[in-house]
Amino acid sequence: MKVIVNLFGVEVRLKQEIFVEPVSPALKSVVKSMKEQGVGQLERFIDDRIAPVDGSVILVNGRNFLSLDGWETQIHAGDELTFMVPVAGG
Amino acid sequence: MKGICGKLLDVDLASGRTKEIGIADETAAKYLGGRGLGARLLFDLLPAKTDPLSSENILIFLTGPFTGSMVPGSSKFVVVTKSPLTGGWCDSYSSGRISLEIKKAGYDGLVIRGRANHPCYLQISDKGVEIREADRIWGKDSFETETTLKGLEGNGSAGVSSIGPAGENLCSYACINSDFYRQAGRGGVGAVMGYKRLKAIVAKGGKKVEYHDHKRVVELNRANYERAKVSQVFQARSKYGTPLTLNFTHTGGILPTKNFQFGTWEKALGKIDSVGVYKSVKAHRSCQSCFVHCSLITEVAEGKYKGTTLEGPEYETLGMFGSNLLIDSLPTIIQANVLCDKLGLDTISTGNVIGFAMECFEKGLLTARQMDGLEMKFGDDEACLAAIEMIVHRRGFGDILAQGVRETARRIGGGSDRFAMQVKGLEFPAYDPRGAFGSGLSYAVSPRGACHRRAWPPAKEILGGVPPFTIEGKGEMIRGLYAENCIFHSLLVCDMPAKFIPLPLDDYAIYFEAVTGLSISQADFQTMAGRTETLIRMFNNREGFTRADDTLPYRTLKEPLPDGPGKGQCVGEENLRRMIDDFYSCQGWDAAGIPTEATLRKYDLKNTL
Repeated sequence: MKVIVNLFGVEVRLKQEIFVEPVSPALKSVVKSMKEQGVGQLERFIDDRIAPVDGSVILVNGRNFLSLDGWETQIHAGDELTFMVPVAGG
Repeated sequence: MKGICGKLLDVDLASGRTKEIGIADETAAKYLGGRGLGARLLFDLLPAKTDPLSSENILIFLTGPFTGSMVPGSSKFVVVTKSPLTGGWCDSYSSGRISLEIKKAGYDGLVIRGRANHPCYLQISDKGVEIREADRIWGKDSFETETTLKGLEGNGSAGVSSIGPAGENLCSYACINSDFYRQAGRGGVGAVMGYKRLKAIVAKGGKKVEYHDHKRVVELNRANYERAKVSQVFQARSKYGTPLTLNFTHTGGILPTKNFQFGTWEKALGKIDSVGVYKSVKAHRSCQSCFVHCSLITEVAEGKYKGTTLEGPEYETLGMFGSNLLIDSLPTIIQANVLCDKLGLDTISTGNVIGFAMECFEKGLLTARQMDGLEMKFGDDEACLAAIEMIVHRRGFGDILAQGVRETARRIGGGSDRFAMQVKGLEFPAYDPRGAFGSGLSYAVSPRGACHRRAWPPAKEILGGVPPFTIEGKGEMIRGLYAENCIFHSLLVCDMPAKFIPLPLDDYAIYFEAVTGLSISQADFQTMAGRTETLIRMFNNREGFTRADDTLPYRTLKEPLPDGPGKGQCVGEENLRRMIDDFYSCQGWDAAGIPTEATLRKYDLKNTL
C-alpha cells in the first residue's frame, strides 16, 4: 500500500509517497517495512529495534501514535505518517 | 545574593525626579526576578483600578538574576504594566542588549511613572539617568530611532528600546522594539510608553556585575554545548528556527487558517513553512549569551520587495499573516513583518485583527468604503499591507482596528463577536485550541489573555501523546506548564534553550547556585511559581476580573473544526467549565477563581489582601 511520509528534523521532507508491503497493517509492521526498504533519513527517527531515537515522535494523520493505539495503530492506504524530532513552538 | 544589583531605578517623567528602590535579598529569593518580581511590584505600586492610559499607570522593565551571566538564553527582559488592550495584568518579553546594559549600569530594572510634558527618551548610565528631549525622533519609526540614538556619542554599543508611530498613536497592541528586530510584542506595552511620551530608553553601563562563580557558569556552558551539538532537536531548531512549527501545526490540524475557520492549509507547504523560509535564509544568529542560533536572517530575492531583509519571520507571524489571511507569499509576509517592526505593532494581534476584518468583509459586515476603498478579501496582499498603515496612523476605520479585535467586534456588531478570536481582549496567537483542548484552557485562564507563552500544551497533547480531545487531567497539566514557564520567565531565560538543548529545570538550579551563590530546590522553584501565579490572579481580581472572563470565543467553543485531525471537534462550554474547575483546584483557588485562605498562607501572601 502507499503511505504519505513527512520527516521533520535536521532535514525536512514533505509528502513523500512510499509503497510498503507490511506483514500486517499495524504501525510497527509498516515502520519495519519502511526501515527494510531503507527510506532515506528514517534512521534519524527510528532505530533498528523500531524504537524512537532522541524522543522522536510519530504522527498518524496528525495524531500522536501514543494517543491512538500505539504501535498497534492500524495504517491504511493513503494515511500520512509524520516522523519528527520533538521540536516545535515559538 | 550575587547576580542582582539589589535596586531599581525609579523615574517620574512628569516631575523629572528619580530615586532608587531597594530590593531586599529576601524579596529577590522569593520572586527571583522577571515575572515573579514584576507581579510583586505591579501589585504593590499600582493603585487599584488605574486607567492603563493615564499618568498613574507604571511601566516596569526588569532583568533577572542570570542577566549578563552568559547562562544560555539570558538576554531577556520583561515589561510589566497594566494593559490598555485588556485592562489587566500584562507581562511582555523580549531579547535585547538593553537588559545587559541596564544591569551594567547598576540596576535590576526600571520603574517608570508619570507622563512627560514633551516627547523624551531616557539615557541611562553608571551615573544614573537623564531625561532628554526627543522632539527630533518623535514620529520616526523604530529603526530610524534606534539608528539615530546609537549614532550619538558614546551610544555605539548601547542597548536601545523604542516605540514606533503605533505606540505614539496609542494603538492598543503597539510593541516596544529592541535591537531592530526584537519586540516586547503583546498587550500594548508600546501604547503605555507612547502615552507617557517616552520614545525610547537608551542604556550603556560600565560596571561589573558580580556573580558567585563565573568559572562554573563557563564550565556548565561548555558541557551543555557538547550536549547540544549531538541533539537533533538542537540541530533542527538551529537550522530551521520557529518556521518548522508551521509544518507541525498544519499536520496536527491547529494552524490558524482563514481567521481560525480551518486548522490546516496545504498551500502553505513549501512556501511559507520551514522549507519555504529556508530558501530565503542568508544567515543564522543567536541572541547574546546563547548558543542556540535559532534566529534566521532572511532576504527577499525578487519581486517588488526584492532586497527587503528581516530577522525572521517567526512562526507566529507566518501563521497570523500567512495561513490566517490565506497569504502564501513569503515576500508579502516579510514585508508585513518589517512594517510592523518599524512602525511598532505586534504581528500576532495585527494579523489576527486583519483576519477578523477580512471575515467581516466576506460576511458583508465591513465595506470597502469604511476601509478607504480597500476590499478586505482573504489572500489580498495589498489590502493586508495597506491595513497595517491604516491601523498605525489610525486612518478611517483603522482607528477602530487599532483598538483590538474585541473592541472592533463591539463596534461592528452583527454577531461578529462570535469569530473575534480573543480572550480578555488579547488576540489569539497561532494555535487553534479545537485541535488540542489544553490550549483552550490555557488561553482561557491566562491572566494576560489568549497567550501561547504561559503554557504550550501542544508539547503534551500532540508531541507528548496526551489525548488532545479529552479534558481529564488537563487542569494539572496546565498548572504544571504554567509553573515551568513562570520559573523560566522569572529567572528571565528564554525557554528555547531549555526546550531545545534541552536543559531541564535541574540544570537551571545548578546555574542558579553558580550565579547567585544560593542553592535552590525544585520545590523552591515550584513554590515561587505558585506564589507568582496566585499574586497575578489577585491582581486581576482586584482590577475587576472574575471567572466569567476566563472563557473562549464562540467559534472555539461551539463551531467544530471542519478539517484536519481535529475534524468535528470544538472545545465545548461544559468541557471548558470542567477544565477550569480542575485548574482552579490545582492552583488552590476556589470555584470563583479566588485564592483560598490556605493558599495565601502557603505562599506567604496573607498580607497582600
